[in-house]
Amino acid sequence: MKVSMNHLREFVKTDINVLDLAELFNTHSAEVEDAYELVQASKLVVGYVKEKTSHPDADKLSICQVDVGGQTSQIVCGAPNVAAGQKVIVSLPGAILPGGFEIKKADIRGVESNGMICSLAELGLDKKFVNADGIHVITEDCEPGDDPLDVLRLNDQVMALDLTPNRADLLSVMGVAYDTAAILDLPIHLKQPEIQEIDEPCPVAIRLDTKHCMSYYARVLKDVEIKPSPRWMQSRLIAAGMRPINNVVDITNYVLLETGQPLHAFDYDLLDSDTISVRLAKDGETIQTLDEQTRKLTKDDIVITNDKEAVALGGVMGGFSTEINDNTKRILLESAVFNPINIRKTSSRLDLRSEASMRFERKVDPARTILALERATELFQKYAGGTVYKGVSKVDNIDYTEPSVELKLDYLNGYLGSNLTAEEVSDVLRRLHLEHQLEEETFTVLLPTRRQDMEGVQDVIEEIGRIVGYDTLPLTLPDTVSVGGLTAFQRFQRHLRDVMTGLGLTEVITYSLVPEHRARDFSLDTAEYTKVLMPMTKDKSTLTLSPLVGMVDVLTYNTARKMSDLAIFEVGKRYDQNETITLAGALTGTLSSTLWNGKEEVVDFYLVKGLIESLLDNLYLDHMTYEPAEIKNLHPGQGAFITSRQGRVGFLGKLHPEYAKEHDLKDVFVFELNVGKLFELRRVQKKVKDINKFPDVERDIAVVVDEDVLAGDLLAAVNKAGKRMLIQSEIFDVYRGESLGEHKKSIAIKLIFSDPKKTLETKDVDTRVNEILGTLKATFKAELR
Amino acid sequence: MMDVKQQLEQVKQEATKAVAGVTTLVELADVKAKYLGRKGTLNGLMRLMKDIPDAEKPAFGKAVNDVKQFVSGKVEETRHAIEQAIIDAKLAKERIDVTLPGKQFTVGTRHIMTQIVEEIEDLLIGMGYQVMEGPEVETDENNFEKLNLPKDHPARDMQDTFYITEDTLLRTHTSPVQVRTMLANGGNKPIKIICPGKVYRRDDDDATHSHQFMQIEGLVVDETTSMADLKGTLLAIANQVFGEGRDIRLRPSFFPFTEPSVEVDVSCHNCNGSGCNICKGTGWIEILGAGMVHNNVLEASGYDSTKYRGFAFGIGVERLAMLKYGINDIRDFYTNDMRFNRQFRKR
Repeated sequence: MKVSMNHLREFVKTDINVLDLAELFNTHSAEVEDAYELVQASKLVVGYVKEKTSHPDADKLSICQVDVGGQTSQIVCGAPNVAAGQKVIVSLPGAILPGGFEIKKADIRGVESNGMICSLAELGLDKKFVNADGIHVITEDCEPGDDPLDVLRLNDQVMALDLTPNRADLLSVMGVAYDTAAILDLPIHLKQPEIQEIDEPCPVAIRLDTKHCMSYYARVLKDVEIKPSPRWMQSRLIAAGMRPINNVVDITNYVLLETGQPLHAFDYDLLDSDTISVRLAKDGETIQTLDEQTRKLTKDDIVITNDKEAVALGGVMGGFSTEINDNTKRILLESAVFNPINIRKTSSRLDLRSEASMRFERKVDPARTILALERATELFQKYAGGTVYKGVSKVDNIDYTEPSVELKLDYLNGYLGSNLTAEEVSDVLRRLHLEHQLEEETFTVLLPTRRQDMEGVQDVIEEIGRIVGYDTLPLTLPDTVSVGGLTAFQRFQRHLRDVMTGLGLTEVITYSLVPEHRARDFSLDTAEYTKVLMPMTKDKSTLTLSPLVGMVDVLTYNTARKMSDLAIFEVGKRYDQNETITLAGALTGTLSSTLWNGKEEVVDFYLVKGLIESLLDNLYLDHMTYEPAEIKNLHPGQGAFITSRQGRVGFLGKLHPEYAKEHDLKDVFVFELNVGKLFELRRVQKKVKDINKFPDVERDIAVVVDEDVLAGDLLAAVNKAGKRMLIQSEIFDVYRGESLGEHKKSIAIKLIFSDPKKTLETKDVDTRVNEILGTLKATFKAELR
Repeated sequence: MMDVKQQLEQVKQEATKAVAGVTTLVELADVKAKYLGRKGTLNGLMRLMKDIPDAEKPAFGKAVNDVKQFVSGKVEETRHAIEQAIIDAKLAKERIDVTLPGKQFTVGTRHIMTQIVEEIEDLLIGMGYQVMEGPEVETDENNFEKLNLPKDHPARDMQDTFYITEDTLLRTHTSPVQVRTMLANGGNKPIKIICPGKVYRRDDDDATHSHQFMQIEGLVVDETTSMADLKGTLLAIANQVFGEGRDIRLRPSFFPFTEPSVEVDVSCHNCNGSGCNICKGTGWIEILGAGMVHNNVLEASGYDSTKYRGFAFGIGVERLAMLKYGINDIRDFYTNDMRFNRQFRKR
């Protein structure tokens, strides 16, 4: 809502600067987007073109001798419409026009020019609102040297409000005036319209066939003369961002701006009926609206009819068939109230948002319906030569009772944290023009119809709070005593991040929405995913079933920018039914290197597995097993499920070369771990273990087994056979060679034995090693090498 | 006697010279054997004892022993010097260029948004808040209706929503977590919580809009909660995020779930309020929306609004990070360019 300060000042007499008022509105009323002079130009005068001659060297230029008040200036002008005898707007040398454009004395193709003759667009008025073809010719009475902005009523400032949906009252100059009066503690000046009626009664009857039109008022005028509206009205419309059209349209728009009540004027003769009836449209019914579009309607739309067919889309836009035109003589002026929900449905379905629909959607003040009708009628009489039939035709089903709200002083002060007295509160309510009574520190406040947003006691508190000023409230902290903290699961997730970063991985956060065809990239083909109904783009249509989908894109993005060593993780979600929290990682290139001496740790399966093992070890979860598995989009020979005794907790593996290639990647290793499961399985150290005082005994064994024997299985068997005495076992060599025979490999294992109660004797250890070897032989046909 | 003494002195000088001329431990051993060995020169002199008169024997013995000790001292001195030279030579060979770079270990970085969320969580945990989370796929009821946003409410236009079905959607704010908490509390316990999490709006992604972003909402409900408490809490957050000495300003605004609703500005951390390009010359930066919980919201989740009241606030994490670090494009948070992510090593 753009507010003309000239318009506002008719209701509140103040000379406050628009910038100061804007600042006050920001802190007490509503956000001000912008506040500015309507025309930001200096050194403008009215000029009288005494003589015009052609430029000797340029066809399109004229040389004008212009009386600029007390002296005659020669000005070269390029506008085709400039002519002797015109009064024009002249910017003199030294003038600054919008955009910082400075006017200087100049030589234009050999002819001296002392200024510029301006169009309204050159003064910074939007081209949509003014005739931009050529210079502006002043028709008003004035003398050369006068200020043209005064003559054209363009000496105005604009306050542009960025309104929230609740403050529908501020969609009118009157509403802004109420707030201005309250903030500045000034009186508000409201005038009653004056109308002279003829004896002949208003010829139209109103009938409401739907409850969604709550009131309908109409007047009919005759002998109307269609012509431009007065200059001051045009200028105020321009300031408010509306294009002047003709006096009838301009008056309805002007009164809309003033009161917030949308009006519509029909050509009464084209209406061709003495009855206006309002009903819901029939499904499939059509109407041609003012913008000449044919609209197909539904039964949610409200139509105004001439009792035969729809002539306007109620509350949204007038109809083309009854539009005001140059020959209009009689007009029917409508002022009505429609159900906001219907208006909202209609305007959003048809994508037709008008000044009217915007206001009806947010609720208008029903008490201004009649005021707006009378105000417009008054202006028609004055500026359109209208004669007014006697009386107003109307149907009104609105209950105008103003609800009241009780507010106790101590509740108010407790709510705001303020320390206001009853007198102070009463004074604020007076400034806001909120009628109230005070009895034993309890206020009974009437909620006025102009504030349709106010419903309860909190609304009254807000009004008081904002006018007193939130800056006057003290700064305190809640009395509520409570124990704060993270849950164990939240702490666990933070811990995962600490371990991951400690291991050298960098955290990423990726989008949850991915292309539909990629949602299951790391899930079963049968997994159910969730798609949004109306995605913005196909690329972001479906909730991912693994953070890895987005992480692969992160690798691709960075690799394309010559960052080839990448180690990233995300604590994200699989967006399944449970929104399973998952820790995912993706690595490629080298994890660390010292280039100058040729040492580098290239990321491979075992490096990534080592990272996971380090994490699991940190969580006391070192009993996981790794089962070889063919996992979707992973290398068939380099993938594994990570499993605990209670089931699967995740997977790791190398991206399938084909999949990697599709994403412009090479050797990429990924993993995913179910955070909830890790949390359930995790163990915590409850009591310290004594450090063993007796020495360990170390033995190395090497066994030859078939190639397809898995090291993990071998180790598991070793650990089982080693019983408690075996405290550690570690593979330190895997060897293949001709001497072993085909499809054979040797696995060397370091065994560490210990007993917390005594020093182990050689024979005890030998016996246990033999038992281990016996088990390996029995299970894997392992031969001691 | 004189003769023997001269002989002894001569041996001493010879031995000293011999030791001084030695350069290796092997030579030293030879020299040592020659003079101090069992069949060495000095032991040979000792054998002359029998020719010495008894009265002079002790003096003679002492003189020989003195020379033995002297020579032995010289030998040890030289041994030490040779050994030191050997060590020095070895160390000299082991000299390296200490200015060459070391092995690169990487410590990863947490995402800047994680860091800011944790920072605010930690501050508010210290003030007695609990951290609550909830699902991102929500019901229309929890996301809107219980928050005083019935269907067809014009304010729904403020938040374009990704619907999944008519009744389920991607949450547009973390407020449904507040609803869930209030419902779980059964309407008769004070609440002091923050709810961080991902939220979604149907927006075209550009430098200042993102269809996904991170929010932290706070909710306090009790019998005495006031707007002044809200102000104090928000100032504490502003000081934590932007550094001590901030000022805050509340401006009237509108959210369907709060009444009064306010936009909250913090005095510019860059210029301290004198006006700069970050605050667009106003001295103030808009950082969040807040307000007193609307009675309809309390009632919809089982709280008696005549007894309880509350405040709520909602922080856009990306916005805070953008203001704090001068980040100009919200998409940077989700692109995960390592040159961006790895800048935020330690806050």
